[in-house]
Amino acid sequence: MANLTVVTTIVALPFVAAVLSPLLYRVLGERTGYAGALVAAASFGLLATQADSYGTVRASWVPALDVGFQFTVDGWGLLFALLASGIGVLVFVYSARYMHGEDGLARYYAALLAFMGSILGVALASDLVLVFLFWELTSLCSFVLIGHYTDDAESRYSARMAMVVTVGGGLCLLAGLLVLSVAAQDALGGVTFDLTAMIANDEAMRAALRESGLFVPALVLVVVAAAAKSAQVPLHFWLPNAMVAPTPVSAFLHSATMVKVGVYFLGRVRPLLMSPEWVLLVATLGLLTMTVGALLAVASTDIKELLAYSTASHLGLMVAGFGFDVVYGGEAGTFHLLNHALFKAPLFLVAGIVAHEAGTRNLDNLGGLWRELPITAAITGVAALSMAGIPPLNGFYSKELLFEATYEVAHEAGGVAWLYPTVATVASVFTVVYSVKFLGMFFGERRAPLADIHRPPVALVAPPALLAAAAAVVSVAPQLAVDAIVQEAVEATAIGEAHLEAGLPTHFSPPVAMSAVAILGGLAAYPFAGRLATAIGRGVDAPVPVRPRGWYDWVVSTAETTSARFGPFVHNGLLRTYVTWVAAAGSLLALAGFAATRGALGIDRLGVPLAVAAVLMIAILAGVAVTTAPSHVVSVLTLSILGFMLAIFFILASAPDLALTQLVVETLVLLIFLLVLQRLPSFYSDVRPLALARDAGVAILVGAMAFVSVLLTAPRPDADPTSVATYYTEQAVPGGGGTNVVNVILVDFRAFDTLGELLVVTVAAIAILVLVTMRTRGEETVGDSEEGPIPDGGDSP
Amino acid sequence: MTTTIMRTTVRVTVPIVLVLSIWLFLQGHNLPGGGFIGGVLTTAAFVLIYVAYDLDYLESGVLDREVNPGTSIFEHRTVAAYRRTLLLGLAVVIGSGVAGMLVGDPFLTQTYVHVGGVPIYHDVELASALVFDLGVYLVVVGSLLTIISVVSAE
Repeated sequence: MANLTVVTTIVALPFVAAVLSPLLYRVLGERTGYAGALVAAASFGLLATQADSYGTVRASWVPALDVGFQFTVDGWGLLFALLASGIGVLVFVYSARYMHGEDGLARYYAALLAFMGSILGVALASDLVLVFLFWELTSLCSFVLIGHYTDDAESRYSARMAMVVTVGGGLCLLAGLLVLSVAAQDALGGVTFDLTAMIANDEAMRAALRESGLFVPALVLVVVAAAAKSAQVPLHFWLPNAMVAPTPVSAFLHSATMVKVGVYFLGRVRPLLMSPEWVLLVATLGLLTMTVGALLAVASTDIKELLAYSTASHLGLMVAGFGFDVVYGGEAGTFHLLNHALFKAPLFLVAGIVAHEAGTRNLDNLGGLWRELPITAAITGVAALSMAGIPPLNGFYSKELLFEATYEVAHEAGGVAWLYPTVATVASVFTVVYSVKFLGMFFGERRAPLADIHRPPVALVAPPALLAAAAAVVSVAPQLAVDAIVQEAVEATAIGEAHLEAGLPTHFSPPVAMSAVAILGGLAAYPFAGRLATAIGRGVDAPVPVRPRGWYDWVVSTAETTSARFGPFVHNGLLRTYVTWVAAAGSLLALAGFAATRGALGIDRLGVPLAVAAVLMIAILAGVAVTTAPSHVVSVLTLSILGFMLAIFFILASAPDLALTQLVVETLVLLIFLLVLQRLPSFYSDVRPLALARDAGVAILVGAMAFVSVLLTAPRPDADPTSVATYYTEQAVPGGGGTNVVNVILVDFRAFDTLGELLVVTVAAIAILVLVTMRTRGEETVGDSEEGPIPDGGDSP
Repeated sequence: MTTTIMRTTVRVTVPIVLVLSIWLFLQGHNLPGGGFIGGVLTTAAFVLIYVAYDLDYLESGVLDREVNPGTSIFEHRTVAAYRRTLLLGLAVVIGSGVAGMLVGDPFLTQTYVHVGGVPIYHDVELASALVFDLGVYLVVVGSLLTIISVVSAE
């Protein structure tokens, strides 16, 4: 059984370190990176101790909604968490050297540490609210990290783009989680956000979702969230832009961890949401992304951009794997998560080394680097060929599993389903092309003159070398990795029994043929990579509608101009405009809320005594009279009739204190009006019909809102008093010594409230004093400088 | 509004209103009334004077003091008195809350005692809440009159 303290420590440790990192940076300087590596190593070590103690631990947080700090340790979460902390160690070591001499390192390490904590949180949390919290935290941290170079406009643009896309997806996730929790109310017999319980009762959950017609919405919301996070088509465009971040960030966030959160979560809810709709949506989405990503990677010339598109493509492979409802699908997704991290993270780190040492990231200028960077070339060889899926490297095994999944699904369903294996094979052809293209920068002849290429320091080479070595180990003995962790991860994401056996194929089968076609096709197509890239580039440069990034720019700029226009419209500096919008919007929201939750009005309750009816009729007549009054004084006086009628209504409803208050306040207001009216002109200005109609509409809306609210929320006249009311009535005399319950509540039971209200009144008085003082002063200075006052809300130069 | 009818009416009604407001304030703990209602009613009485006469009348006519016409509303002695009332009220409220803490009760704890053998009334209940309510009364009177006098002077 997992230990709550240990699990909490694993997640909390990076956050604590993040908070302390400005201090650490002051003490350690650039060696903070090594401290970060220590923290990551500590989390990794603690995780490793949990390997044999699967289970769920929980501490209560919001008991009324059954929200808790609930963490589940299982194979799938552990695999992801180990990857995040393990690669974290290497990335921190690499950063310490790579970020040498840069500014803002304290912020950089703080964000990186907090990011690692969030990823560990997502991996281990099994309460949906907690998952959402950590999920959004990863987006926030990545925003800070992508925008690391705050002076660079492109950096800011890309950070914002990543933020808009991933946080927008996060909102979909929130909606999806709420739908799931609503369904859990029917399926599990109570409000809960407990994901483990939902997955354990997946059939009941699916039935409840189907019954309420929420299955497809929940599925779509979760998939959109995962697609935004994992850069699936058509939301893939933010990932290459995010490459403006420092290279260690790209390696960590954009290949090994954050972008995999979506894939991870799909794997997590796969047993819960598996259905024909799931297969259609997720598998299609994954294969489409796999193809589009591979095509765009072939067309890129920047090495980081190539890796970014390739990452999108491989994420598509994992998503597609999880999309298929056969055993091989889940195995492909799970195994490829590990393999991809092992070959893509070193490739990013290599890209960083090349950019650092050669001074360029343009593939057209790079060639023959193996002479200067032999170790880096060796690392790249292992990783890039693994990315291409060349046997016997590790990428081959998981891709083979996907081929088997597509073949099996197509074989069973037939017809259009044969598109699945076809598309997977075609995408793999391009995968081989861009992998060889990436590798090509180390071989052949130098294509452009480069400055002296230094030998990279050990701290830069060791992390990718370690990762490549790990990839090599998995390549040579895949069953070792499977036994260690992957098998248990497969079980956590599988539907039913699954037993993963990885190894080189021993006999000829359709998937083997697909692999052969992909590899041979890719090698054959490589010489034409240039022409392919031109063709793809022409497609990318097509008019806006096919370019998602064009859509993004359009949406953002339209939102900006619209809000710039909308702002002055809603708050133009005139108090009456503010009141109109606030009153109308508030009333509409309240009414919509009632309409959504309460349905029809209960008119049957409108039993009104004759006296009350008479008083209220007079009040209504007074209200009408106010609108037709010929002068200010008359309208104030008729308004007072309305107020006094309300006081009488309170007396009739046996609320003498309220009536007294209403009477004295009404009197005071009347007097104040009279005091002020002496100074006002005695005529009404001409009213514009349009403004009149608007005011009447707002007034009716507010009135309707108040009426409906009272009707629906007030207790019935014959209802029993609430427990609070009973308490006050019973305790007034013995507890406060007074028989006036209202007053006893004000001065005895809830004196603190009264104190607060007195402070409000005091602040109001002081505010008015100050405002009047300021106004006279302002007028004096304005008069002196002979400049008009700056209009409220306007742009001051 | 400074008609003779208005002024005569105000002369008669203001004392009655003031007495009524104090009565409402004192009986608040057991019958309808209390610090807030009493405070608002007192304010109403003062505003009546303002409507019928003006801000300076309290100084010159009631207190028979010299009024310096040059001073702005903030240095006006009446307004300063209102501000002092406001602060005094806050002090009374907080003081009555803290008083309980001196004998070990939580902040704002109130208590009451019955005193027997008083002439005419026989049995009188003395509640510490009345002190709190007095603070409420003072704050309401002070703040409302500050606001009204400052705004009306504008």
